[in-house]
Amino acid sequence: MAKDDTLIQTFADYEVITPAHTLRKAISTEAAAADDDPVARAEAALQDLSSEFSIWMNGECERLAQARAAVQRMGFSRRTKDALFNAAHDIKGEAATFGFPGIAGAARSLCRLIEYAPDPARIPLTLVDQHVDAIRAIYREYARSDAIELAQKLTQRLVEVTDAFLLDANKDRPDILALVMSPPLAPENA
Amino acid sequence: MVRIDFNKLRFLVIDDNTHMRRIVRTLLHGFGAREVYEAEDGASGLEAFTHYVPDLIITDWVMPIFNGLELTQMIRQPGANANPYVAIIMLTGHSEKNRVTAARDAGVTEFLAKPISAKSLYQRIVSAVANPRPFIKTRTYFGPDRRRSTVHNYNGPERRKGGKSDVIRPAPLLDKARSIG
Repeated sequence: MAKDDTLIQTFADYEVITPAHTLRKAISTEAAAADDDPVARAEAALQDLSSEFSIWMNGECERLAQARAAVQRMGFSRRTKDALFNAAHDIKGEAATFGFPGIAGAARSLCRLIEYAPDPARIPLTLVDQHVDAIRAIYREYARSDAIELAQKLTQRLVEVTDAFLLDANKDRPDILALVMSPPLAPENA
Repeated sequence: MVRIDFNKLRFLVIDDNTHMRRIVRTLLHGFGAREVYEAEDGASGLEAFTHYVPDLIITDWVMPIFNGLELTQMIRQPGANANPYVAIIMLTGHSEKNRVTAARDAGVTEFLAKPISAKSLYQRIVSAVANPRPFIKTRTYFGPDRRRSTVHNYNGPERRKGGKSDVIRPAPLLDKARSIG
């Protein structure tokens, strides 16, 4: 669609711009077939891929362990900190999709520890180790019948210790404290 | 619900995680999309945006070189590229309030917190395609209208000032920017 289909309304200190609705081309006017369900098709396609998920999660756990090893060897630098955070952050986002939702909580706790610590050098490496070992253990033992229950207990303890550290470390930073204590805004499973 | 012909849309998926790119690609193909391009960081994502001219971008936040937020800010520059109005879905593991607000203020069209599901991704795409919001341009913001609904009993400060003026049908923004430059 031509660019000159754009409309602009000018006000004192702002403009309202209505661009050409170029995506209208994809809105179908035909009624969908009764058995046509694109979401179900996509879920089925994802299911076909799911045989690889455990291997992928294993790779992500190994990546996390390597990032932890780099921190142990070299301490926290911008590079080692980012690598550890990114590995934990990816696990947090992928765990449920890969069929391991019980892992996400421990990964989220590690992300908070790294993100909200005022000085990475003050993060107890023991606490980092406990998170990484917990994530790997939960993955390794996921076939157990009580895996979810154990993961919840482990995660709860990690969160308690992490919160205690962050509340103390940020006691003079009220803005960060507010972030530490605030719940997620976006629904976790929207 | 509105039915979308996904095979008429061109997608660009930007994520440094190869597994997540494959998941999103799988879902998009499942919806019926044919044209799905990929990039693995913000810089190559910007290059792919210019090269492929996608209809929708699905981008991660945390990426090397520059992240999804910076990428969005670079795209939302009127006159700086072929389509500053492109629909951008931020798909991220971040779900904290300050992150959602920052993504909104950078100009993302939709925000989708991981874990991803077929239903949630489908809903965001349908919203972007069927119900595009007008863009707002101020001295500090250029992006989709952040007011998704009218609150009739709103009694806070009115940050937008000025009476309504004429509606104009301007020259293409790119030409306008060039003529000024």
